[in-house]
Amino acid sequence: MRPRVNYSFPEEVLEHVFSFIECDKDRGSISLVCKSWYEIERWCRRRVFVGNCYAVSPATVVNRFPKVRSIAIKGKPHFADFNLVPEGWGAYVGPWIKAMAAAYPWLQEIRLKRMVISDECLELIAKSFKNFQVLVLTSCEGFTTDGLAAIAANCRNLRELELRESEVDDICGHWLSHFPDSYTSLVSLNISCLGNEVNLSALERLVSRCPNLQTLRLNRAVPLDRLANLLRGAPQLVELGTGTYTTEMRPEVFTNLAEAFSGCKQLKGLSGFWDVLPSYLPAVYPICSNLTSLNLSYATIQSPDLIKLVGQCESLQRLWVLDYIEDAGLEVIAASCKDLRELRVFPSDPFGLEPNVALTEQGLVSVSEGCTKLQSVLYFCRQMTNSALDTIARNRPNMTRFRLCIIEPQAPDHLTHQPLDAGFGAIVEHCKDLQRLSLSGLLTDRVFEYIGTYGKKLEMLSVAFAGDSDLGLHHVLSGCDNLRKLEIRDCPFGDKALLANAAKLETMRSLWMSSCLVSYGACKLLGQKLPRLNVEVIDERGPPDSRPESSPVEKLYMYRTVSGPRLDMPGYVWRMQDDSALRIS
Amino acid sequence: MFDAAMAVVKPEMKSYIWLQTVDGSIQQVEEEVAMFCPMICQEVLQTGLGSSKTYAISLPQRVNPAMLGLILDYCRFHQVPGHSNKERKTFDEKFIRMDTKKLCELTSAADSLQLKPLVDLTSRALARIIEGKTPEEIRETFHLPDDLTEDLCQEEKLEPLRNITDDPRIRLLNRLYARKRKELKERKKLKDVEVEEEPKDERSVEDLLSFINGADGDIKGTRANKNKKKNRRRKDHAKDISSENTNENDKELNPLPSAYHDVNFDNALEASASKHSRTQNLPAINFSPKFEFIDGDVDDDLDPAMKEELDREVEDFARRLNSDWPERMQILSLGQDRRLVPISMNSNGSTHLYTGFDQR
Repeated sequence: MRPRVNYSFPEEVLEHVFSFIECDKDRGSISLVCKSWYEIERWCRRRVFVGNCYAVSPATVVNRFPKVRSIAIKGKPHFADFNLVPEGWGAYVGPWIKAMAAAYPWLQEIRLKRMVISDECLELIAKSFKNFQVLVLTSCEGFTTDGLAAIAANCRNLRELELRESEVDDICGHWLSHFPDSYTSLVSLNISCLGNEVNLSALERLVSRCPNLQTLRLNRAVPLDRLANLLRGAPQLVELGTGTYTTEMRPEVFTNLAEAFSGCKQLKGLSGFWDVLPSYLPAVYPICSNLTSLNLSYATIQSPDLIKLVGQCESLQRLWVLDYIEDAGLEVIAASCKDLRELRVFPSDPFGLEPNVALTEQGLVSVSEGCTKLQSVLYFCRQMTNSALDTIARNRPNMTRFRLCIIEPQAPDHLTHQPLDAGFGAIVEHCKDLQRLSLSGLLTDRVFEYIGTYGKKLEMLSVAFAGDSDLGLHHVLSGCDNLRKLEIRDCPFGDKALLANAAKLETMRSLWMSSCLVSYGACKLLGQKLPRLNVEVIDERGPPDSRPESSPVEKLYMYRTVSGPRLDMPGYVWRMQDDSALRIS
Repeated sequence: MFDAAMAVVKPEMKSYIWLQTVDGSIQQVEEEVAMFCPMICQEVLQTGLGSSKTYAISLPQRVNPAMLGLILDYCRFHQVPGHSNKERKTFDEKFIRMDTKKLCELTSAADSLQLKPLVDLTSRALARIIEGKTPEEIRETFHLPDDLTEDLCQEEKLEPLRNITDDPRIRLLNRLYARKRKELKERKKLKDVEVEEEPKDERSVEDLLSFINGADGDIKGTRANKNKKKNRRRKDHAKDISSENTNENDKELNPLPSAYHDVNFDNALEASASKHSRTQNLPAINFSPKFEFIDGDVDDDLDPAMKEELDREVEDFARRLNSDWPERMQILSLGQDRRLVPISMNSNGSTHLYTGFDQR
């Protein structure tokens, strides 16, 4: 074997090479190559993604990456969106902001998801970072418009302020007035999740004085008759989210609106459309042919009007829509939207006992036949068949994300009344690049055997009301090499599969199991033997060790971490590495 | 006549810059080509060097004659006005087709000459080479040492930490895990190979079962043999369930769903172990180096005393695991009783209802 000679580089050249590598995973890989690459990479890393805010401590990140300009952090488990995570669980961003305020005066971008952020944190952000430009809060909570006012007043270079699906205590609509009159750098503003009216005059002045504004997503309270003014002030918009889309029927409102939309030559994305009055929809027809993104998931438009609207958007790449679209509308989309890559169909009446729309498996089959670039599907429906799933899998083997949500738990194939194992099996077998999968319907352990056998690139799996025994979970844990996140609720999975695949758990970002059959004893054993895994039992009834070790825990959340126990656990979270007797309950 | 000839020749002579590389060789380069390099241009303007062989510009150490040749080829093409962007792009794409070592040298040399367009071009090419590779692959490609200490990279480590602790149970779990990964790879390679089972099969199965079932190993082992025969007949999954369910009802004092599931789970493990055993009959030459490495992990030679201790630990582990089983079965039954009510309308519910009645 010849001697290994390093290809030597000046450090600045290697840094330059690294500057062309943007993927988080690749950055992680190059930092593990050797000592010198580790050092060079850590000094030139500008962007850090933390997939779980408890996986690593703020101090560790700050010490390792001294020159970060942009950070993205995720907090609560995904099932928080379904109210399975109790109030006060954690995911407080405060410690992160404090650490970054001290270490990163030049931090420019903060993106948070499912985290709790207080007004004090927002004020600290506003005052600490000299060139702060981007704040994106997705599914966050804990703050009010007072915090937003601090951001508006102090961040002179702010380019993006995006509030997506967040819970804001909407105290005052005048927070927009805190943007100084000299402030003109806004590129993106998203206030769609605010509940109250905003100061419309302040909003119009802000919009019209920012020449680079490209994205504007209004909240529901912005009335339709003011939309035209906003659009005339920002005809360069690329993405627009309307407020409410109804008002008294007055001819001049329609005329103004139609003229304003006609003036927006750059529009590519539309969203909003709360409370649609169909008579006003023709105002947007002139720009439909240019749209690549359309989000009508808040638009209660009945099928004929919806089909007429969507049918004019032949350039669509992303469509989010309620199930009012029905099979007929999906057939129109299949025939006309040849660039569609992502489709999400949400339920309009998820708690109704009977179908209120004619949306079935056939609609999704149509789209899979007609839209050859389709890669991502989220589909709520009330019935499905193995045959349809097989057809979809064969039609679109390039899918990377497939999330099917049959509203009734454990619904079988509605034609054969068989489990849907074979259908989902076809999805994982034919879609070889599948990264994300959500299961629903009647499923046995067999579907998990398929997933374990074929799901080699699967990174996230969501399971509910499925499976027969530990064998199902064993198939997944032992077969899915790239699995990072696994969330399970109401399945008969217990100790054996977890213990037999314990080493696998340390390679995953997180595992959530609720209403399953995992015993307290097994949780303790895992916590004791896997020191880099935080095994947390969520039990609001009291200390788990007051019940037999063999009794199943209600909620279990375990995640890989290098920072040890979290310091902000509420009383109902029990870390399995800790001696419960020392805890005060 | 002679004077006239001299006059004619002079206007045709070009200007040249003399360049010397670190090995001492000197060459003459067209001025407009050489001046395309900012470092050379700077040197000419500031020092006046380069006008003759005795006053050649000394290039940085990183520029050897081969690299200089490549760089001058690049400069010759790009300093000429009139090429379209497409032509330049095509040239660049062909230009960077070289092995990684040469690409590294070229990047370094171009950087020392401050030729930013070429540095960008080669840096992007190197970045493309790095993307998608594991740290091991990158080390191999760039001939780098594996000198990272454990502490430095703990945040990024994704693989299980083999033998990081002395706990035999963790080691056993890791061995089990490694075995599973190995078997998954085997399935791809062996799907067309059928090998007669050897006596070794039984030992591996028993060894595996003893980990799962502890004291009940003998009984399970006996049943395992019969299960293997069924597997060989390759019945449909549904029929297997029905058949095994019948057997369980006949033989078990308490025919509970969990017991049935338990057998199913064992079957999967047996199948894995069985395939693992078959592998041992294949010639060693069939294994890839990575495969052999994993195999080494699985063997994990222990001295007899240690092995004995490990066996005791495993037995204790399995006993503890098993000791909870009866209670869990009760709870499972109760749980299922509760769940029977909302789902009694479908066939699955019917099955559970029957089970419930049988229990009573």
